[in-house]
Amino acid sequence: MATVAIPSASKAARKARALRNNLSGYVFIGPWLLAFLLFTAAPMVTSLYFAFTNYDVFTAPQWAGLSNFETMFTKDGRYWKAVQATITFVFTAIPLRLIVALGLAMLLKAGRRGDGIYRAAYYAPSIVGGSVAIAVMWRQVFGTQGIINAISALFGIPAITFLGDPNWAIWTLVALAVWQFGSPMLIFLAGLKNIPTEFYEAASIDGAGPIRKFVTITLPLLSPVILFNLIMQIISGFMVFTQAFIVTGGAPLDTTLFYALYIYRRAFENFQMGYASALAWVLMLVIGIFAAVVFKTSSGWVFYENKDGN
Amino acid sequence: MKTLVSRRKFLKVAGFGAGAAALAACGGAAAPAATAAPAKPAATTAPAVVNTAVNMRIAWWGSQDRHDRTIKVIELYQKKNPNVKIAYEFASFNDHLTKMTTQAAGNSLPDIMQQDYAWISEWAGRGLIVPLEEYAASGALDLKDCADDFTKGGKVNGKLVALNLGSNSQTFLVDIDLFKKAGLDMPKDNWTWDDFEQIANTIKGKAGLYGAGSSLWNEQIWKSLYLSLGGWAYSDDGTALGYTDDKPFVDHLNRLLRLSKAGAIPSLADDMANYYDKSLELQAMATGKSASDSMWSNQIVGSWKAYGDAKNLKMLPLPRPAGGKSSNYIKPSQFFSITKDSKVKVEAAKFISFFTNDLEANDILFAERGVPIAAKVRDALKPKLGKSQTEMFNYVARVSNDVQPIRPPDPTGANDVVKNIYVPQVISPVLYEKMKAEDAVALLRKEATAILAKNKK
Amino acid sequence: MRIATRLPSRRKIAGSVIYHVLVAGFALVMLYPLLWMFASSFKPSDEVFRTVTSLIPSRIDLDNFARGWKGFGGTTFTTFYVNSLFYAGMATLLSVGASSIVAYGFSRIKFVGRGFWFACMLMTLMLPAQVTIIPQYVAFVNLLELRNSFLPLLLPRIGGQAFFIFMIMQFIRGIPKELDEAAEIDGCGRFGIFFRIILPLIQPALITAAIFSFYWTWEDFLGPLIYLNAPEQYTVSLALRAFSDPSAGTDWGAIFAMSSVSLIPVFLIFIFFQRYLVQGISTTGIKG
Repeated sequence: MATVAIPSASKAARKARALRNNLSGYVFIGPWLLAFLLFTAAPMVTSLYFAFTNYDVFTAPQWAGLSNFETMFTKDGRYWKAVQATITFVFTAIPLRLIVALGLAMLLKAGRRGDGIYRAAYYAPSIVGGSVAIAVMWRQVFGTQGIINAISALFGIPAITFLGDPNWAIWTLVALAVWQFGSPMLIFLAGLKNIPTEFYEAASIDGAGPIRKFVTITLPLLSPVILFNLIMQIISGFMVFTQAFIVTGGAPLDTTLFYALYIYRRAFENFQMGYASALAWVLMLVIGIFAAVVFKTSSGWVFYENKDGN
Repeated sequence: MKTLVSRRKFLKVAGFGAGAAALAACGGAAAPAATAAPAKPAATTAPAVVNTAVNMRIAWWGSQDRHDRTIKVIELYQKKNPNVKIAYEFASFNDHLTKMTTQAAGNSLPDIMQQDYAWISEWAGRGLIVPLEEYAASGALDLKDCADDFTKGGKVNGKLVALNLGSNSQTFLVDIDLFKKAGLDMPKDNWTWDDFEQIANTIKGKAGLYGAGSSLWNEQIWKSLYLSLGGWAYSDDGTALGYTDDKPFVDHLNRLLRLSKAGAIPSLADDMANYYDKSLELQAMATGKSASDSMWSNQIVGSWKAYGDAKNLKMLPLPRPAGGKSSNYIKPSQFFSITKDSKVKVEAAKFISFFTNDLEANDILFAERGVPIAAKVRDALKPKLGKSQTEMFNYVARVSNDVQPIRPPDPTGANDVVKNIYVPQVISPVLYEKMKAEDAVALLRKEATAILAKNKK
Repeated sequence: MRIATRLPSRRKIAGSVIYHVLVAGFALVMLYPLLWMFASSFKPSDEVFRTVTSLIPSRIDLDNFARGWKGFGGTTFTTFYVNSLFYAGMATLLSVGASSIVAYGFSRIKFVGRGFWFACMLMTLMLPAQVTIIPQYVAFVNLLELRNSFLPLLLPRIGGQAFFIFMIMQFIRGIPKELDEAAEIDGCGRFGIFFRIILPLIQPALITAAIFSFYWTWEDFLGPLIYLNAPEQYTVSLALRAFSDPSAGTDWGAIFAMSSVSLIPVFLIFIFFQRYLVQGISTTGIKG
């Protein structure tokens, strides 16, 4: 855009400007680049190498070619269960979480009397994280004598052993994930705050109702933040770990054996770091494809103030 | 440093002033800890050329009670040996394993680490923990008072690589009064699984409770079942399964299925949701849902406390299959090992010796890790013990008269068999009625044989 | 509130009542499990799992807090709190500061390799830490000799964190570029534009990032577990996990008490910052 904006500039000036841009670009991303090259890149590349080896953590890795991948796709019965559990989670928990988060952010954005308290109440579940206490808490809520069964008993519904039932267990983890919708909600709130109120005032004068305001003002102006939340929730959805790790441990019948949990077990319980690394890199590839698809379509629905996304 | 200052500055520019200042203040308060830290590793890694100053590290897992007791013993040792400085680290069981694995990869294991029976052969096989015989011979590690039966569980390929910190055996903890109320006589020590089935059904009928709690399907029961019949889960050389007849295990699984359908033991769904892998306080007996619970003998202290100190409880050996011998064996609850990374192995051995033999130290430890292996320590502790611990000491002494010799520690790959085959692909499908016991047990044989065959040289 | 001078109509009041009943009711449902945890931290230990659905302890037992706070072998939660506050505070300062600078670079400057590095950055988010933690540990401990130190935990943050960088980028991209150009005409350089124009406008994003960064560092246990060996350096999250052991008795009363207490700093940070996220209070001054 910059180059188009100044067609009269000489070639040399354009070159100088490009050089200056390159220079200042690298100065600004410098801290990240430095940290990435020093602390992150090497471990990542190392783990990529591990993926093609048999590595038990204690003794030197032995080259194994593609055998880890062969095992994964053809011999390992639990692998596909892990895939199934993860996909079920991603396609249910993530949309629900985003919808609830956006809905409540819309409701609480105006800062009415009491909204501060409500925000705190809705955000609070998201700060209990993955402690031992929350595991016990969640098992109690869905326990045989827990509150859910106590309430359904009032309507004469027989008790369900949620966490032990292969048909139910994963839904309790989905519920746990949706319950912790605080972080996307907060990001939506921050995004809504950045929408100038003048737009809404102008629309009101034009006689627009709340739905039209939402569709014509909120959605387009919030779209960069929606894109961010969508991408990040997809990533964190595929990498879901804590909920299953602390609450179900993958049981029953491997219905909650999330992919990242399986990686952890192979790496740290069976000392199969090579196999775990292979699993991890396949996961990364899959997430990468999903993220790329979302990015590709985003040019159609994400509205940036500066059109070329600069 | 300069970047940090400018960052703070711009944070203030951003209207962040108050928050930034508050956080910076916290940073200032704790900064000495971080700057002082780098001095420490230099001290730990320095070779102990000077005889007077010894630095060691020790790591263990446990709960608050164990941490407190162990730290007190370390302090006692430091007081008695002013030249020794021991740095310690503690964690929960899973965290300890993650941490030790990482440290092993970085060649920075502590001098002494707590070990579990399930890992010692893998760790010893890779040379990560060292044989202790030479220290026993030199007198640094005093084992004169420790019967062979109690120490041999720490042997891998004939070498003592880990010292037992407390002896254990499997047990059924039963509620005497509930048995009486259900009109049942207390079973004899040689009771069978058939007896158990009858008892469990009676308790269900008369008291409306489970006959026993969680995990009658776990791999410990599988091992003990075949131990009683003269075999074991794994062959002695670790290259195959240790039994040829699948039928006893098929029968056992079918029995569990019958019992859980009758409501006499928890169904697997109930077990997974409420009991399996949960803490002692949550088990079926502790929460008043069962008349007995199976566990390791050192767990009865915590279980009894959770169930109620006033209760009348008794420890029974594991039931045996019809016609079998005892299903029990004496197993070390946990060990101390000296790692390859230690530069002060003799000093480490001396500390383990102190931990094992010193009466004052064991007054503090108070058999929390299981029945002490040194006879003098046991005798000195006995008069001081409470009700539950006395029962534990007596039980271990009683079953010692009729136990099977302990089999070699789990071979490499056993972990893979249990975690990836046994629980998810055999036990779960059978007890959730997705698969017939015969087929599942056959699958176990096929898959486990493939994994264990890799140990052939 | 701005229309408080006008008399509220009956319809408005009814709407307001419905709003509060619904929102508060849903909030209560959301809070039930938390209230259960708080209630349990006051219950005598043996009561926690006996009276499962009850939120009211039979008697208030403050002893749970005393037993929990004393920690392990003389190292109390005071130490763990100081460590956690230091770690979370430093990490937040570094992460948020660096992330905003890097985000500006990625979102406003066109330079060679931008797309490539951005993709690399997102990739770091997609690889589970379980498989990189060991190589990273080996590098820090064996190559850099950083044992028993917060440095391995803090150093990687000098480059910000991918999550925050991307988040702040999305906010910067919502700011009209005309503002930058106007400032450039006024003689502002890149840094001038960043500090004077961009930073004030992305305040909501920075606040959100600070809230998250503080909380995520506060609850992080894997990093402290691996890099901090001495109990005097343990953080709250690490200490909480050292309470329980499946093979020995666990003091659940103390665990619940300390877990409840551990939420307080995170909650206070949220309360303190969230009021900056209310729409339209500080005017942004941008018009499209």
